[in-house]
Amino acid sequence: MMDQRSFSAAQRFLLSSKRYWTTTLYRELCEEYRARCGPGREPKSVTQVAEIVEDLTLYRYFAWLERHLQRMKYSGRYGLVRYYDQHRDQYAATLEADTKAAPMLELNPNLKLPSYYTSVDIHCHPGGVWSDELAGFVYEHGARTTTPLLGRAHEDLHTRFADHIATQGTPDSILDMGCGFGKSTRPFVARFGDAQIEGVDRSEPCLRVAAQHAHDRTANNLQYRQRNAEESGYDDASFDLVTSTMLLHELPVKDMNAVFEEAYRVLEPGGRMVHLDFYHFPDAFARFLHYGHGRRNNEPFMQPLAELDLPRTLRKKGFANIEIAPFRESEGVDLDAREAWRFPWTVISATKPKQRKAARLRQ
Amino acid sequence: MFMPVSRTASARTPRAKPDAPRVEQVFFDDPAIDRLMGVVMALATEHYVLRDRLRALEEQLAAAGHVDMARLADRAEDPEDVTDHSDAAEFAEELLRPLLGLQQAAGASGRFSLKSRGRGRRRR
Repeated sequence: MMDQRSFSAAQRFLLSSKRYWTTTLYRELCEEYRARCGPGREPKSVTQVAEIVEDLTLYRYFAWLERHLQRMKYSGRYGLVRYYDQHRDQYAATLEADTKAAPMLELNPNLKLPSYYTSVDIHCHPGGVWSDELAGFVYEHGARTTTPLLGRAHEDLHTRFADHIATQGTPDSILDMGCGFGKSTRPFVARFGDAQIEGVDRSEPCLRVAAQHAHDRTANNLQYRQRNAEESGYDDASFDLVTSTMLLHELPVKDMNAVFEEAYRVLEPGGRMVHLDFYHFPDAFARFLHYGHGRRNNEPFMQPLAELDLPRTLRKKGFANIEIAPFRESEGVDLDAREAWRFPWTVISATKPKQRKAARLRQ
Repeated sequence: MFMPVSRTASARTPRAKPDAPRVEQVFFDDPAIDRLMGVVMALATEHYVLRDRLRALEEQLAAAGHVDMARLADRAEDPEDVTDHSDAAEFAEELLRPLLGLQQAAGASGRFSLKSRGRGRRRR
């Protein structure tokens, strides 16, 4: 039996190693890359970057550590999966007690899960986020250190996103697609107290954790439902805001298209769709590292999203006022500086035209 | 142990066990280095776990004059607590700094081999 101290120490060491990777190794890699390119001669394509970078010894270690620090976080003797398994009775009991009859939780044991969702253990999380009853706890714990430099401020990312949405108006009814364990949904509950908020996700274990948090906070304007985002089951024009946080890059392009179509359907005319995801790349080097991250972190659809012509896709779905802009995950982030590795956070927003324009589009 | 969620037969999707063998991702020309890195990092983790425990033991001995095993095992630390990270950060940096390939002392550098230089000249 692994005791609490050993688990904490091992996870602390892994996180410290990830911080070193995020800062020192990343900056050194950038320096070696710049030196190889020569002043002002950085290539424009990912394949050209790959030609320059992939045989750098430092890049081999950079890539190895990205993959294996993630593996060690979740797997092995001190991994999150083993930790929660050893405390299974305790955590399963709290879930059962808090969510068995939770009014804000609707589960669907008949929900069909697509093969792309079940065949890859996303984030290198053995069993994925859906198959084990405690997977929600494991994912919630792992996600605290997804962006190592943010630390506790990682929660602020979601708050900043809600604040960003608030600058464009206060929604009355919100659908949070792919809400997971509720980390993205909770800031909406806090920020828009008068709104009715619905969160949908495929993962029962994650939704149970989300409902447990909601139970703790006695939220009464919130409902979590086990549904597919692309077949949400809501009536047409049910929401004035449809949102997601880090959902799109988890979807094959075909399913992403279906999600956009569903968002359009359930939005009322004039309603907004706003996604926080990974799409803005300052240069080919950032794009190269991101594609590699997708492979190393078991997220195979990061690259397809990054290569998609999103403005064109959204226009074809009927959306208007399409805006795609980089997003600062914390105060003071320099989007162009290579000071530390970061996700290419991007806000993707669009509106469903008012009825008159929508009618014209259908003709 | 692996406890599946209670899905109905119609919705259940067959899948491999989490620990099923899979083809590894390889980052070095010789996969031996990939695997050796895994050994090094596993050892380093164990080393840090032991360091942490030893430090705790010393603290307790100093404070109370005897070892309290229950306290040793139960003391939970927050892996996100930045103030508690300096030791782990220093250890991680020392462990991973060799990956930068820096040479601390001036002198001969680069790859060293005697195997072809002399013979090559003689052949000519």
